[in-house]
Amino acid sequence: MNTFRQPGAVTMVVTILITCLVLFLFQKIIWLVVPGLLALMNYYCLRPLVDRLVLRGVRRVWAVAGIVGVILVLTVGIVFLLAPQLLTRIARLQDTVDHYLGGGQNLLRRTIQTLEEVAPVLKRASLDRKMDLQIQQFTDQFADRHLGKLALQLLIWLPSLFLVPYLTYFLLMDSTRLKKFLIRSIPNAFFEKSLLLFARLDESLRSFFQGLLLLTFLDTICLAAGLFVLGVSPALLLGLAAAVLSWIPYLGSALGCIIVVLVAATDFPDRPTIAYICLALFLCVRLLDDFVFLPLTIGRKLHIHPLLSVLMFFLGATVAGGTGLVLALPVLGVMAVAGEIVAQVVMDRRLRSRYRAARDLASAWTTSRDGRSPQLTRNSLD
Amino acid sequence: MALRMLTLSRFSKAVHLFRTPANRERVQTLRNLDVFHDLTFKEALEVDELLHERVYEKGEIIFEEGDIGHGIFVVVSGRVRVDPSHELLKSAVLEIGPGEMLGELSLFEEAPRFATVVAAERTVMVALLRAEFSSLLTKNTKIGVKVLVRLSSTMCGRVRRLLRGERHTPSL
Repeated sequence: MNTFRQPGAVTMVVTILITCLVLFLFQKIIWLVVPGLLALMNYYCLRPLVDRLVLRGVRRVWAVAGIVGVILVLTVGIVFLLAPQLLTRIARLQDTVDHYLGGGQNLLRRTIQTLEEVAPVLKRASLDRKMDLQIQQFTDQFADRHLGKLALQLLIWLPSLFLVPYLTYFLLMDSTRLKKFLIRSIPNAFFEKSLLLFARLDESLRSFFQGLLLLTFLDTICLAAGLFVLGVSPALLLGLAAAVLSWIPYLGSALGCIIVVLVAATDFPDRPTIAYICLALFLCVRLLDDFVFLPLTIGRKLHIHPLLSVLMFFLGATVAGGTGLVLALPVLGVMAVAGEIVAQVVMDRRLRSRYRAARDLASAWTTSRDGRSPQLTRNSLD
Repeated sequence: MALRMLTLSRFSKAVHLFRTPANRERVQTLRNLDVFHDLTFKEALEVDELLHERVYEKGEIIFEEGDIGHGIFVVVSGRVRVDPSHELLKSAVLEIGPGEMLGELSLFEEAPRFATVVAAERTVMVALLRAEFSSLLTKNTKIGVKVLVRLSSTMCGRVRRLLRGERHTPSL
């Protein structure tokens, strides 16, 4: 028997409003929210592995320390292994950017020439010359304008990213104790329903993060397969980069698309068709992602109506910009579950009166323990 | 080398005991409860992570008839009084003491409670939620099966006594 009621209109509106408020606040402390979310994602991905090790007789502390340690060593190893290459590439970043932008410029020039042949009116607007001038300005000042900002952003973000393994370790070690600690403060009257709230919240978060990973995997496979068939390399790396970038809706997708098209245009300077096919492939995968994969993975697991998902994307973007876009669905999912249970607990007169009665009994017990005469002030159960 | 290993092992045990004296006593209390009686110390420690200890004052309602149950309660100390409205339960034992469990039906289905249960004196109980019990069954089958067998055995005993018309502790 499923007694969990569907949320009412008022609950839903309040949930949406609270979601907007939370998104607004998250935008202000994004430096803490991002490591926290990454740690949560690690927690939900690594928890089954920890449980499996514990089941095989390994003590939890060793299992968690071992797994987080291996990840840390791998990360540090990869960083040290890639650091020399990375430093060389950063030193040559201007050349690399010029190389790929040159490929893109070539593609654009060819496209404009083709368009001018089709529509001579465009030739009179001298689009070709204007575009060349603008791209030249962009590439000339790219290092001065963007590399400095990029380095500064990295410096600001790096310290907060060091929180990720630290938070992951403590989440894996102490999540149960933390949950019990929070539950201990809940009055007996609301205890059972609140436990249900925690169980459902946990399930929502687990579903979201696992759904997100599944979505990234599907995107990577589709893009990489398409790029491999077209002969654009490295197909897997490009697919993965575009899939991870698409965690940031719209902006991330556009960036992923630009990178893929630039690589294709540079690898095949004499065959602009390949770049156009890449663009079409990217659009197809995005459509597939938004209308098939997303509802099948994240949307369905969070039990959010597709119309509400789209509405929440726009609301999130309005309230908190890019942060709102990325976090709109997970925050709404969590708030919807929390809102419904809180509404059920608060609206339940029986539970409220039971709480008042228990409070009176507790104060009477304290009074009798302190040597004063016990006295019940009221019996709220009546 | 062997001596060094022995010393390390002793040191590790000493540290473990030093760090968890309260846990030892608590887990031992858990193992004395009928439903967790078959568990080893290590297994009981694992189950303890999932249990929630609650203290009820005399007269405080633990759950009410008609409430949707989400978990099982086991009396650790104190006594509780069962107040059923159902005719079949009128002949049942209506005072439940340490080691007995309540609300085991809700571990298997989300259904309304059959009776109201009130603390007859200051009572300490541990609660296990259905979601946590399900995760225990999938994550640690060995512990899950042991608890499940104990639960089933208790419920069988209660049903048998009910059918024989003997005084029985009701399954709520």
